[in-house]
Amino acid sequence: MSQSHDALLSTAQARAALNQRVKVLLVESLGLEIQPALIGDDQPLFGRGLELDSLDTLEIVVMFEEHLGVTISDDDRAAFGSVNKLVDFVVEALGEIPRMEALA
Amino acid sequence: MSAAAPVVPDGRKLSFDANQIRQLLPHRWPMLFVDRAYDVIPGKSGYGIKNVTVSEPFFAGHYPDQSIMPGVLIVEAMAQLTAVVYASAWKEETAPDDEAGVDTAGRVGYLGAIRQMKFSRLVVPGDQLVLRAELGNAFGTLTPVTVQASVGNELVAKGSLTVTERGSGGGNGLQ
Repeated sequence: MSQSHDALLSTAQARAALNQRVKVLLVESLGLEIQPALIGDDQPLFGRGLELDSLDTLEIVVMFEEHLGVTISDDDRAAFGSVNKLVDFVVEALGEIPRMEALA
Repeated sequence: MSAAAPVVPDGRKLSFDANQIRQLLPHRWPMLFVDRAYDVIPGKSGYGIKNVTVSEPFFAGHYPDQSIMPGVLIVEAMAQLTAVVYASAWKEETAPDDEAGVDTAGRVGYLGAIRQMKFSRLVVPGDQLVLRAELGNAFGTLTPVTVQASVGNELVAKGSLTVTERGSGGGNGLQ
């Protein structure tokens, strides 16, 4: 049984909105000098990607707790691979794609 | 190993005088800025007192004609109280009944980040600085801390820090 076209479109839009929201949060909370839209969904966050370090990791953990209500623990380090992996983690933790209107 | 491991399930609150603080921390005069700690829930939160006198060495230069405690030293005092809160948890973990045996001082890490800080009142000789630190959830060797300092009922500074734990293998706690 496949979802209707409208349902798929709605899911895709919610996912894109969440990715964009996470990029904005990353830029704001880490003080990155880059436009959120220029961060790739699969661009590595560390090393040659966004050049984040371990202190930024904690910043992301605190920011996710505050803004998305999701706790990333020490065992979930794989979530820091990219924006997509961070968002995958949020969606799995919440059991659904949070609607941006509901997030402050 | 988490720096913020809850080890006192009954919510017992501990106090530390200056001698006990020197057993927990590696800091010494003129860089020890917590005279006493109280209501400490190991690994969670606590209060500290720093009595500011005109004889503080930093007043000699900050400033010669007007004594003001440097804001960064207020932050240092907050960070030292934070170290008391987590070092007391290690002490409870390893040897709760041993008065002096555990080397917590060697595990006390460094200030990793001043994430946010706002100063709202000058601290001058005669002030009693009351510090508060509340640890967040640790991530690896890093722990976020919400801190605040006040004199009487006036807020002096408020913000959040990141502190590191030095692993037993050495290093600075950063990766």
